[in-house]
Amino acid sequence: MMTTLAQAGFPAAMHQLTLAHYLFISGAMFMLGLIGFLTRRNLIIMFLCTELMFQAAGLALVAFSRFHMNMTGQSFVIFIVTVAAAEAAMALALVVLLFRKRESLDAAEWQEMKG
Amino acid sequence: MDQVINPLALYGACALGAIGVLLALPRRDSKTPQILGAVIASLAGGIVLLAMGLKAGGLFGIGLSPSVYFYVFALVALGASLRVITHPRPVYAALYFVLSILATAGLFLILSAEFMAFALVIVYAGAILITYLFVIMLATQAPTEDLENALTEYDTAAREPVIATAAGFVLLAVLTTLMFRGVGELPKAPAINGQSLLAEMPRKIESALLAAGSLPSGAKVTFDSSGDAKVDFAARTVEIKLADGGTRMVSLPGDLAVTNTEMVGFNLLRDHPGSIEIAGVILLMAMLGAVVLSRKQVQLDEDAKERHAKLLAAEMAQGVETNP
Repeated sequence: MMTTLAQAGFPAAMHQLTLAHYLFISGAMFMLGLIGFLTRRNLIIMFLCTELMFQAAGLALVAFSRFHMNMTGQSFVIFIVTVAAAEAAMALALVVLLFRKRESLDAAEWQEMKG
Repeated sequence: MDQVINPLALYGACALGAIGVLLALPRRDSKTPQILGAVIASLAGGIVLLAMGLKAGGLFGIGLSPSVYFYVFALVALGASLRVITHPRPVYAALYFVLSILATAGLFLILSAEFMAFALVIVYAGAILITYLFVIMLATQAPTEDLENALTEYDTAAREPVIATAAGFVLLAVLTTLMFRGVGELPKAPAINGQSLLAEMPRKIESALLAAGSLPSGAKVTFDSSGDAKVDFAARTVEIKLADGGTRMVSLPGDLAVTNTEMVGFNLLRDHPGSIEIAGVILLMAMLGAVVLSRKQVQLDEDAKERHAKLLAAEMAQGVETNP
């Protein structure tokens, strides 16, 4: 029986070893986002790195969703995307505001705000 | 853990990857070119994937390893992510971010999460990235004539690269150790028939039967009291009501199946209706916040004003020197 990708429905659950592959990719991507967030000083790139971490979490959720044959994992990714979009809108509005005040995107410009 | 990957390969690749990322991060007094670091880091990622693929029994669709497309998309995703955090120019970093989004969408397709793959491309690569590019355009200093390609100081020098990279890779090593130890003991999922949702979509069954030509004229798919079609999944047949009032079982078309989008829709709207409302509130609040923030009048800081005046004075002095 020939089925297209969209008609294939929910295929069989995958093996634990296959799950481990996806979890490694997710972990490595999260770690790269974390390193970027810690090392880069440009505010825009720092927020780009948080998006990278969101995406890694989403990949882990979808992989577990396939492993456990439970669609809730995929539904949750919709909310991750929602939160990422809201965060991008707010954070970038703040970045523009901060840039207009100091004419610089350097996070170190604002270090007197530390407690 | 031994059944997933050889620990030696994992920890060796972690150390190699840390060195590679450290070399690839932008530094002011960079002796080695960034590309060398990127190559070393990619090599480390490749070693881990290769070791895992060999352990799972063959790389190319044989054994338990995922398909070869998985390795392509995984390497593209990790390489693009590395470039996002190491590229000194924000515009290029944003474009590499699109590449890593597309590769992740490819991984979602392999996991048969088609709806999420396309939603990711539309929302991230379409909407969020445009916002980022606009802000990068709005929030960069206009280049002066003689320094057209100059990079700002905060883009060329990373902050504490050694500590951050070491912390990141130690975290990765610990995380993967714990995950790989636990993943072998995960119980296998019960063999759920993903098609059981089909009974809740009598209209879909009806139109599929019509298209296949197996529905006599005037006949309808029968409902039970809860509105579900009476489907016999073992025999793949459904009960229909003929025009003269009698009932009959007809077999379902072979390609009739529940799609991923329908399953996500059922899960979202039937199991979590309240959370959709909450998502709407989050989006509304973000919109209001962005409007309020962008309407605010901002005065330049005293420091920034002073810097401006100095720059202007320097330019004037230069102008006097060149053409008196």
